Amino acid sequence: MFKKSLAIAAAIIGMNAAAEEVTITGTVASKCVITTDTVGIYGNPTPSELSTAPADGGVLPIVRYDVLQANFYKARITYPESFSESPVLTDVVTWTGDVTVAEVTDAGMSAYDTSKVEFNNVTEVDLTIAGSTWFQVESTADYGVTKAFPAGTYRAVVSADCIAL
Amino acid sequence: MRYIMIAVMLSLCGYASAHQWTPTYPELELSYVEGILKVRMELFNSRSDVKYYEILVYNESFEPMKFATQERIVEVGYLKRKNIEIFIREQDRYRVTYICSKSKLLKGTGTATLVSSRICSKIK
Repeated sequence: MFKKSLAIAAAIIGMNAAAEEVTITGTVASKCVITTDTVGIYGNPTPSELSTAPADGGVLPIVRYDVLQANFYKARITYPESFSESPVLTDVVTWTGDVTVAEVTDAGMSAYDTSKVEFNNVTEVDLTIAGSTWFQVESTADYGVTKAFPAGTYRAVVSADCIAL
Repeated sequence: MRYIMIAVMLSLCGYASAHQWTPTYPELELSYVEGILKVRMELFNSRSDVKYYEILVYNESFEPMKFATQERIVEVGYLKRKNIEIFIREQDRYRVTYICSKSKLLKGTGTATLVSSRICSKIK
């Protein structure tokens, strides 16, 4: 008798479980996602130069910006003007750099290279098209007047900002 | 040497990590303290190289503004979300413009070039 009741109860629970529904909800809202696609590496083509250019044995850092809706954000990328970590340097380091569009998900985004605003070591781009844009950052450091960089580890920081308009 | 370079390049190819700070246009709400407004933000960390983020509040000219929050440097684990409440004086409600989160990079970690990310939302 008890076994039968147990079987009926189990069957009822089983039927209820089969009738359950799981809801998945999602919201699409404007947002900006900054992704570090590739961290850069300095090549050392001459004793006095460190460069992320592939021709100099370096690797270009690449940052990806994903925007879900157009005209909501601007990208501001700053190439380094100092080392965050280095051996003691007794002479002046001259910094140069450039930020360019590497890849796009929409053909119209290639116009970012012409519409970008550059000042000092900063590049600003209004993200006027929804989708992903990959920006590559070139950075070169020249030490003194063709002076050799002391041996050691050198690190520099690229700043990637996404600012709501 | 060539093999070391190839190994480094291969390890970098699969590297991708992201920082997300929402909503884009948060609204100031009344808080439980008189004269203080609050704003709710959400931080999502999918940067495996970053564990800490700094919360920053600016005016329209990107000058720092006074604010309060539980922690200014927030620890957010990899692939974790954190809801953050930021408190602002009511007298500053029309001056506060940007609420930002910035990744904090630890010294001595990573490779030659590090990427610091900062996302700023704008008060509605």
